Parts: sequence; C-alpha cells; structure tokens
Amino acid sequence: MTRFTSPRVSAYAALAASGLVAGLALGRVEPVALAAPFALALVAAAMAGREPHISARLSLERERAIEGDEVTATIELSTDAARLELLPVLPEELATEDGAAQAVHLRPKEERTIELTLRCERWGALSVGPLLVRARDPLAFRSWEAAVGEPQLLRVYPREETLRSLVAPLETQVFAGNQVSRVRGEGIEFADLRAWQPGDRIRRVNWRASALRGELWVNEQHPERNTDVVLFLDTFAEVRAEGRSTHDRAVRAAATLAHVYLQRKDRVALVGFGGYLSWILPQSGAKQLYAIADTLLTSDIVHSFAIRGVDVLPPRTLPPKALVLALTPLLDDRTAAALLDLRARGYDLIVVEVSPVEIVTPEPGSRLELPHRLWRLSREALRWRYEQVGVPVVLWRDDEPLAAPLEEVNAFRHLARPA
Amino acid sequence: MTAAALATAAYGGVLAVAFTRDGSVAAELAPGAALGTLFLLFALARGGVLLGFALWLAGASYVAGIVAAGHAVDATAPVVALLLLLCGELAAWSLDERPWILAGDLLEWRRGAALGGLALAGLVVSALILALSAVPAGHGLFWTALGAAAAVGVAGTAAALAGR
Repeated sequence: MTRFTSPRVSAYAALAASGLVAGLALGRVEPVALAAPFALALVAAAMAGREPHISARLSLERERAIEGDEVTATIELSTDAARLELLPVLPEELATEDGAAQAVHLRPKEERTIELTLRCERWGALSVGPLLVRARDPLAFRSWEAAVGEPQLLRVYPREETLRSLVAPLETQVFAGNQVSRVRGEGIEFADLRAWQPGDRIRRVNWRASALRGELWVNEQHPERNTDVVLFLDTFAEVRAEGRSTHDRAVRAAATLAHVYLQRKDRVALVGFGGYLSWILPQSGAKQLYAIADTLLTSDIVHSFAIRGVDVLPPRTLPPKALVLALTPLLDDRTAAALLDLRARGYDLIVVEVSPVEIVTPEPGSRLELPHRLWRLSREALRWRYEQVGVPVVLWRDDEPLAAPLEEVNAFRHLARPA
Repeated sequence: MTAAALATAAYGGVLAVAFTRDGSVAAELAPGAALGTLFLLFALARGGVLLGFALWLAGASYVAGIVAAGHAVDATAPVVALLLLLCGELAAWSLDERPWILAGDLLEWRRGAALGGLALAGLVVSALILALSAVPAGHGLFWTALGAAAAVGVAGTAAALAGR
C-alpha cells in the first residue's frame, strides 16, 4: 500500500515550531499556548500511523449479459481502518444508480458484503475492477491507497432487434436449408409443369394436367437449400456523438442478422474490415453465433492509413454465391472500393448504409450548413456509383428499426433484377 | 460546505480577538489578516499548502495584538489556540469530503467525535501551559523536578514519533 500524509501535518509542525520560537523570542507564554494544540495534533497523527489491514474481493453475479441488463457486483470486505473508501474501476459502458464510490467503517474482524448494481449501457468485453481502496485514520492525517482484487471479465452482448423477414440471397448453396431455391429439383414449393421424361417418378405426375393434354406431365419443385451470408462490417471509421455511434448500431445489426440467419440453418461468416482486420469463416449452428458475438464484442474502430483491399481476406471467408451484407457508414474510400471490387467479382452485394448524417446535423443557420450539404451530396454521388453496378444501397437512419432498410432491399429486388 | 463555513467562522473569531486586543494597531494588522483570509478561502476552494500560511498569519496577528496590548498574560490564548486548530481541522475535513462518495452518517459522527476529542485535549493542554506559566521560577524542588521531567518527556515523545 502507498502511504500519504496530509499536507496539514507539516503545516502544524511549522506552526508549533513557530509558536515555541516566538514564545522564547518574545518572552511570553501565549505563543506557546497557541502551539500546544498543534503539537498535540502531531502526536495524535503519529500515534495513528499504523498501516491498516484491508481484505477485499470483487465478484460478479454472471459473466454474460445483454445491453440494458443489470448485473450485481459483490464486494466482500474486511478492514480495521477508521474509514475506508472504495472505488471499483468501471468501464464507461457500465453505469451505477448512485455512483460506485462508497465509504465504510467496520469493526475489527467484522466482514461486510456490499452489492453494486451495474447497468450495461453498451456492448463490449468489459473489465470490472480492480478495487481502488483508500484507508484513513480517524482525523485523516494519514491515508493508505492500494488496488486490491482481480479484474472480472463481463461480456455484454449487443441488444438484438426483431426481424420478421430477411433478405433472400439470389443463389443458394447445395446443402438442405430453409431457403427456397430458384433452381428446380426435389422440394416442396411448386415451380412448373413439364412433359414426362423417362426416369421421372410416377408420384410426380400431375394427373389433372395429363388428362387435359392427353399425355403425361409432371410437376417440378423448388428445393429448400441453405445459403451463405457474409456480414461485412466496416471498421475503418465511425461517427460518434452524444452517446450515438454508427459503429454501435452496425454491431447491433450484425449480431441481429447473424442470429436470425443462423436460426434459418444458413452459414454465416463475419468480416471486420478496417484498420484491424478480423474474420470468421462461414459455419452454421449455435457455436458460430457465440464466435461471431465474441468477435463483435472486441471489434473497434482502428484508424489506419494502410491501403487495404479484399485481396487481404482469406479466400474461404468469401465463399462463391454468398450474399454479402455490408454494414458501413460509407465514410472511408477504402471500404467503398473494396465493396465495388466484391461486386465486380460477382458477389450478391447489399450495402446497408448506417447513416451518420443525423448524428452530425448542424444547427440551422450555422456556417456548417454548406459543408454539411456538400458532404451529403458526395454521399449521394457514391450511392449512385453503387446503383450503376446494380448494388442496392439502403439508408438506415438513426431512428429506424433494422427491418426498414431490409424491407427496402426486398422491394428493390422485386422491382429491379440485379445484373 | 458546513465544515468550510465553520472553519471560516473560527478564523474570523481568531481575527476578532486579535483586533480587539489593542485597537491602535488594527491598521497594521489588517493587511496580514486580509491576506490570511484570502489564503484560507483559496485553500478551502482548491486545497494545498495555503491553509498552513493562513493559520500562521492569523496566529501572528493575534500575537502582534497581545504584544501591542502590553505585558499582561492574555487569558484568551487557549480559546484562540482552539479556534485555530478547529479552523485547520474543519477546513481539512471539508476538503476530504467528496460528494460522489457515499458515506453514512456514522462516519461523519466518528470524525466529529475524534475532532471534538482533539480540540478538548488541545484546550486543556493550552490552558495548563498558561496556568503553569504563573508558577514563579525557583519555587522549590518539586517544580524543578516536574519541569525537568516535562522536558525529558517532550524530547522522548519527539524522538519516538520521529522514528514512526
């Protein structure tokens, strides 16, 4: 423990010495009488100078939570200090009702348990602790400070949104799944009628159509297949202000999409494309959901000047015929170029633009209105570039649910068939 | 806030006693008293070593006042000493309190009791010193032995405390 002495101890020593010297010099007793209480205070300070015993342990109610949850942190404490101040080191993503700092007094050998309710304000892999403690003697002449207890890890997963429909990929994979394929084969959904050919099963014969035409006709179906979905998260840049952030929303959207696509038995991959590159190869199942969620927790905006393209990604991260869902604020040219490169390679690409415009809207009449307008025009020009190559770009505004841009993509696909 | 107000009041009490000892030197004492008050207010707002200077200036003003007043022993010296000590302790208390730290009333009472005990002991010691000063020198073996024991006690206490 580190010991600190109050600055008034040296001040009292100087006052006591001054009083005694003044008493001698002036030949009067009053300065000595003035000095006496301060000398007595010095004696009290020195007698209370024993280092206190402090034992503290911090534990969390659970290791995992979801944004908005409340988690109880428990502090088990014993000390013989006259006053002990406790301050658990909390990340800014966690909030407490009345503040985390507390001062307590315990009798010798008494143990106390203090519970703190932590509210998870934002997702992340958070470290709670250690405990910063400060012990003081009764008159606070001396204090001792130390950090005790081990930090505890708390994983706060992003809050998910409710999605009723998803964007269906243009092409499916070869494994069975929940997505009705565009191709024809063995399945449930009716696709078409065709004339009977040798080898067709008898149960596929459509007897009503055969009776009308006077020859055998058979039903064709769309098979149910799985799809590959790549969630492309732009981590080059973000806009953050007043507790709102484009990256936070993108991560929440990625977690939601991963959950829903994996529920449909699709394979989902994750690419964090930015200053720090991260990826998870496409897989299906609950294990993949946890892998993606854990990777999302550690994703952060890392500024970098490195010129990066999709070439740096392992080829297996981007399987053929995969649906690439890009979540980007469209702030960095490298992301824009990489997405156009993906489209040129034939991927089924959808760009969800996590709009930063509402976060940085200038005051009406301010000088920033003109540059803000120019910035919005440049963003529209970029969207036009995407639309020219057949990539739907949907705007996801700050106050909209994620379902809104996805519905917009579905509408776009009904009206315009991508090249 | 309460502790800071009480500290300021105690400081004002010391200055009032200093100014009432001899009215003729009030003008000479005023600059030092004003500077000391400024130091105290600054220390209450920001902390630091200025508190010691403020206390020293108040004590010096009082001593100057009684020296100007004459040779008679001032019986209010223990009270002035008590007020100075209370001023220092209450100012330190107000600086130690942090509004964002949750502390129960029990802690406040404990510190208040400790401060009260120290103040009372300081008052007693100060009054004792004043009373013992009235004992005439060379008044017998008992007083000589007591004085020698006190001197040895002070030296021993200082040595013991320095070793901590």
